[in-house]
Amino acid sequence: MKKTGLIIIAIVAVIGIFLWSSYNSLVSRNESADNQWAKVETQYQRRFDLIPNLVEAVKGAMSQEQKVFGDLAEARSRYSGAQTANEKAGAASEVESAFSRLLVVMENYPQLKSIDTVQTLMAQLEGSENRISVERSRYNDEIKSYNLVIKRFPGNLVASMFGYSVRNYFQAEAGSENAPKVDLQVK
Amino acid sequence: MSWRKLIIIFFVAAWFLPTMLFAYQSPGKAQGFVNDFAGVFKDEEKQSLEQKLSAYEKQSGNEIAVVSVASLQGDTIENFAVELFKDWGIGKKEKDNGVLLLFSLEDRKIRIEVGYGLEGSLTDAQSYWIIRDIITPGFREGNYGATINEATDKIISALSGEILPEAPVESNSKKFNFWRIIENTWWLFLIIGNGVAIWLGRTKSWWLGGVLGGISGIIIGLVIASLVVGIITTLGLTILGLILDYFLSKKGYGKNRKGPGGGFFIGGFGGGSSGSSSSGFGGFGGGSSGGGGSSGSW
Repeated sequence: MKKTGLIIIAIVAVIGIFLWSSYNSLVSRNESADNQWAKVETQYQRRFDLIPNLVEAVKGAMSQEQKVFGDLAEARSRYSGAQTANEKAGAASEVESAFSRLLVVMENYPQLKSIDTVQTLMAQLEGSENRISVERSRYNDEIKSYNLVIKRFPGNLVASMFGYSVRNYFQAEAGSENAPKVDLQVK
Repeated sequence: MSWRKLIIIFFVAAWFLPTMLFAYQSPGKAQGFVNDFAGVFKDEEKQSLEQKLSAYEKQSGNEIAVVSVASLQGDTIENFAVELFKDWGIGKKEKDNGVLLLFSLEDRKIRIEVGYGLEGSLTDAQSYWIIRDIITPGFREGNYGATINEATDKIISALSGEILPEAPVESNSKKFNFWRIIENTWWLFLIIGNGVAIWLGRTKSWWLGGVLGGISGIIIGLVIASLVVGIITTLGLTILGLILDYFLSKKGYGKNRKGPGGGFFIGGFGGGSSGSSSSGFGGFGGGSSGGGGSSGSW
């Protein structure tokens, strides 16, 4: 009698400890993914704050390219209206592609490249692009380790019990990874 | 060679294979602030640069690393820099106050990668102008040593805006860190645990382990100063203690021993902390970066 009682207690204790630890690891992984996403958003914000400065600097010389500027402004306002992480990621890609069109058009105005302000702004924009890609890939790493816990065997039971589901990777819009770069080196 | 050995080797190789497929390959361990893997600096240039950067680190706490590599092995300089930065942990842990100046001879690429903590004072634009005005023209003439010397001067003067007034102190070591203590004294727990296990095995009682578990739980709760943790650990350890004692009493663990001197758990745990210090350079402080800085070519 005593023996079966003890065995039951042992099983309950083992299950309890298992639930406790895997629930906690889910929570902390989810939390660190959120934290990493916040870093991605910070870098987006930084980038989108820089874009108007560049637009301001080049607008005068590019007066006949109003469509590009219009697209860019529209995409930016869509980003500020976005709520969820997925919406923001989508809107951000639109800004990126509108911006890369601006860079392509800028190629037609070689005189712009010799202006120091434009060069500085371009350096800042390239810097923020690199930051975004670094934080983004770290975000994907976080999502990967979170999703692994959720999809693998014992973890998936705990996850469905507490309502944790698979999260989406950040995927750059097709083609945006080879966005044209403006070559600023003075040859 | 036996089959078993072959299988073990296979699994070990399979484990390491994916990491070898990444483009980034560590150029090695940090030898100091100046790491001339490509061998472009003259001895005296390297020495004076090392002295300057080490003195600057002592004065300000900021860690500036200069690294030359022969080739990026197909990687981009941006990725290589961010991985190397993470790998070595340039800058102090909490402050992330490191700068990496990396260049690759074969690719003719250079990058200034700035740690999170210094992004405000050494901006992307400043890094860009340092590369464009100093490094690119200097490297085109092949003056690596003099150019890097000038570039690090510029970096230092850009950073001087953010130097902290007091001497840098390791903030981590002074704090009372519960987990650090556990980490360093876990073997003690094993010895005590082993002794207790033998004792529990000798006494025929099945409940003593539970009582001991409960007491340890209360103590842990008091040390961490959290009611919830205390209750959970007390309950959990009481149950665990009961189970343990039940099995120990049944099996009579330690009954045949003369005393609690046996290393039941001990042995087989190698390693421990490895301090890497050679000729005054104690390694970087574990800082991190997030892609700030600028790149260029020559």
